[in-house]
Amino acid sequence: MKTNRQTPVGATNTTLRLSGFHRPNKHCRPLAAVILLLVALQLQVFVLTVLAESSTNRKSGGARPWSVQVDRVDPGDVGLDPSFGAAIYENLLEELTKTEQFKQVFRSGDRNANDAPGLLVLKTTVQKYTPGSETRRAVTTVSGATKLNVRIQLVTREGQVVKEHVVDGNVRFIGGNLRATHNLAHNVAVTLKRSTLSEQADPVSERETGKMSK
Amino acid sequence: MTSFQVGHGLAFLTVLLSLSTASIGQNQREAQSPVPRSAIHVTQVLGFVGAKHNATGELKIQGGVMEFQHDRSTAAQVNISSIQNIFVEDGDKQVGGTVMTLGKAAAPYGGGRVVSLFAHKKYDFLTVEYLDNGGGFHGAIFQLEKGQGETFKKALVANGAHITPPV
Repeated sequence: MKTNRQTPVGATNTTLRLSGFHRPNKHCRPLAAVILLLVALQLQVFVLTVLAESSTNRKSGGARPWSVQVDRVDPGDVGLDPSFGAAIYENLLEELTKTEQFKQVFRSGDRNANDAPGLLVLKTTVQKYTPGSETRRAVTTVSGATKLNVRIQLVTREGQVVKEHVVDGNVRFIGGNLRATHNLAHNVAVTLKRSTLSEQADPVSERETGKMSK
Repeated sequence: MTSFQVGHGLAFLTVLLSLSTASIGQNQREAQSPVPRSAIHVTQVLGFVGAKHNATGELKIQGGVMEFQHDRSTAAQVNISSIQNIFVEDGDKQVGGTVMTLGKAAAPYGGGRVVSLFAHKKYDFLTVEYLDNGGGFHGAIFQLEKGQGETFKKALVANGAHITPPV
């Protein structure tokens, strides 16, 4: 006599449910991996896009692309040699162009700047100047440094001061005296690049001072 | 410190000193001769449009134009009438270039400092301020042999360059 082994219905259903759960799970694993991979890729693209946008904003100095016109260097009352004034001016043009922070870099008096939108003027005033001596630096090492200390201002066409900094540029060991002008221009460019320029070019409420020396 | 090392160091110093004095002497002989009418040998330090920094070449005045020719490349030119101001200053620079710098660094017993006393030579630095066609201001600096600066400045003024009198 055959006896049918009858398993309880609930257990059967549970077994079926369990087996049903396990069987599709085998196919879900590769599917889940694919979904995870797609999500990771999308996240990566999103992060890269955000980074690219922020670097573009940084390069353009904010949402609005600014141009700059470099004014002639004001020698102040420090007895600056004319060659130093010319060298500071020319090096500033070169270093500001290299940073790519400004859409265009204009020379002082350039008529093309009159029609440029978003133009800022960079004014440089020499506050301290030590001529130094290349021979003294070579012989004594510790003395004879050539030192420059300038105040830079970024102003709008209307004359509102947007940014103001004090920057140094020195040569202490290797290099001629005019090397100080190159170091100064580089420090000015770095200082301006670190400053953020808002879209509206808000006037300076408190004077920002950044001192750098090389 | 053996006598061999001392002798070796002294010999090295002597060679460096003789090289530096020889190059200074040769250049002094060149500078003592009057500025030739055609061109003078200069180093364009920076600022002259179309010329590289520290490029050596010939600077001359020709047909109302100041021209700088570096090797056989295209000459960079500026109209003398666009020159706004000219300055001549004294200065000195080390002779010998990189070789001298390395030699001084390698000189034993601090001999490099002694060589430095003799390895610097005086020059004239000519600063020329001019405007380009768009009204943009330029400042060009040239390194000339001692004594040539004032002569070249007078030649530029005679050909129409402007000079702003000091305040």
